[in-house]
Amino acid sequence: MSAFFTQLASIRWQDIIDILVVSYFLFRLYVLFRGTYVFRVITGIVFLWIFQRIAAYLGLIVTTWAMQGIIAFAAIIIIIVFRNEIKNVLQAKDVGAILWGVSHKAFLAPEEIITSSVYTLAQKKIGALLVLPAKDDLQEVAQGGIPWRGVISKEMILSIFWPDNPAHDGAAIISGKRIAEVGAILPLSRRSDLPSSYGTRHRAALGLSEKTDALIIIVSEETGHVMAAKNGEITEVNDNLELQKILQKHSGVSADDRGARQGENLKLGLAAAVLIIFVTGIWFSFSRGLETLVSLEVPIEYQNRDPGMELLGSSLNAVKVHLSGAGALIRSIKPEQVKVRVSLSKAVVGLNSFTITQENISLPPGVILKKVEPQVVDVTLDIPIKKELPIQVDWIGKLADHLILESAEVDPARVSIIGGSKILEQISTIYTEKVPLDNINRSGRLSVNLALNPASLKVDQASNSKVTIAYVAKRREKMMME
Amino acid sequence: MRTLIQFSGMNKFSISLLFFLCLAAVSPWVYAQDNASVQKMLTITQAAMCEGIKDYAPQNSAVVFSIAIGKVFCFTSFNPVPRNMYIYHRWYRSDRLITTKRLSLKTPEWSTFSTIQLREADKGPWRVEIKDNNGKIIKIVRFSITD
Repeated sequence: MSAFFTQLASIRWQDIIDILVVSYFLFRLYVLFRGTYVFRVITGIVFLWIFQRIAAYLGLIVTTWAMQGIIAFAAIIIIIVFRNEIKNVLQAKDVGAILWGVSHKAFLAPEEIITSSVYTLAQKKIGALLVLPAKDDLQEVAQGGIPWRGVISKEMILSIFWPDNPAHDGAAIISGKRIAEVGAILPLSRRSDLPSSYGTRHRAALGLSEKTDALIIIVSEETGHVMAAKNGEITEVNDNLELQKILQKHSGVSADDRGARQGENLKLGLAAAVLIIFVTGIWFSFSRGLETLVSLEVPIEYQNRDPGMELLGSSLNAVKVHLSGAGALIRSIKPEQVKVRVSLSKAVVGLNSFTITQENISLPPGVILKKVEPQVVDVTLDIPIKKELPIQVDWIGKLADHLILESAEVDPARVSIIGGSKILEQISTIYTEKVPLDNINRSGRLSVNLALNPASLKVDQASNSKVTIAYVAKRREKMMME
Repeated sequence: MRTLIQFSGMNKFSISLLFFLCLAAVSPWVYAQDNASVQKMLTITQAAMCEGIKDYAPQNSAVVFSIAIGKVFCFTSFNPVPRNMYIYHRWYRSDRLITTKRLSLKTPEWSTFSTIQLREADKGPWRVEIKDNNGKIIKIVRFSITD
């Protein structure tokens, strides 16, 4: 539990944006595809994915593998099978409708005209088939329709289904306030459990309702009964009020429209909340489940040093920091995001030992420190002083056997050096850089630099870091030992 | 007259005490003067690094010596030497004291030397500090040991 709270506390603002973006994306999918088969299939895939995660957690290798295959295959199936629905959504004229619009039912047909027309037809026992599409495209399903595009009216509906009318056998498709097509042929239902009293109109209505989200109103030619088919179900409508309610419900503009809208908004809000919780859960499963370790070599930064003191040396320049966290987070870590800082505010002149703890290390949010190696760093501080020291030539190499280097005068003979008091206490000579003897064959002069060791030493501004050596070489005398 | 009578009236003990007190008061000054005269008088006339000594004189004085010669000498000569005493040759390699040689000096003048055997590890800059018996540096001689 404490681990959960630790992780909760380590959530970065990027993680919150991450969760919100994915949640909103899923929410848009829900808004755009709700009520369609696409949404149902997506829901199924989500459940498959959850199942696959559980299987992976339990170590069910084959099940995990099979689930992954099905999910990948299902994604392709969605694109192929529901290409029309997807096309409808993506071809929306208004981009805003895709990104943030919450479209309620698209049906805008005047319900009262339709109700009145249907019951007039029923009274006269004139068979009729009225299709009121919702969001699904009927173009692929309902075929052979004759374009009509007439503004809806009772007279027009009656005339369309009048027995002598050539187009009266097919279905009339009502789109908005217009009758879009007449004489459309609908796919027949293949169900075998339908009552024998159902004729072709009933089968056609049921067939379309199985494949789309359209509402189909049927007026039986034999009985004059009115029936409504939707979502693969066919129900008898008892009276005009009930039919009106069915139409209003389908169009989403019922008498208690306000309440319905509120209910729909509540539904959307609930969906949004569920999606946020769902995505947050996924985020946690990713960030916890895929914990990764990484080791970084981080340089130590020394801070708050007394300006009067100088850092002469430290036992470590860098430490190895072992970190853990979510794989994605660990992979995105840049070395400069990890800092190891040691405060020298309490340091004294001489050797100081500091233990590197969590407090000394700054990490990106969500990353946990596992270990620091080594944990102790020794730092030597000193007060800088100025000291004048003699200069000595540091000869190397081999002088020709017949020569003797009789003398070497350094100009200037002394140099003023600035450095830590403890260091300068130990030093009584400043040496030149290595001067090779191999090329010397006569007396001469050389200009060389001083070699300051340790490197913290500095030549005072008043002195020169370059000196001249005037050397005298002479022939070796044959030596007679005493 | 009264004073004279009084002075002459002092007993022998009092006079002796006064004498010793005076002696005690001036003795540190006398000692210091004596020391100063020793240091002032001990004078180094020559200090040289060399490959050998012949006839009480350094042979092949130099500032660079090859390790091949096997030995290096530090020759020092003093004149005058006020009294028999010791001096010290302190051999340093790169600021690290390697050895200290105690050498005796005899009046009235004296030459003396110290030597070290050279090894492969001895390459580098050297110096010999010549100190008197009070630890005061009289002279520093610098040289290098090379290939």
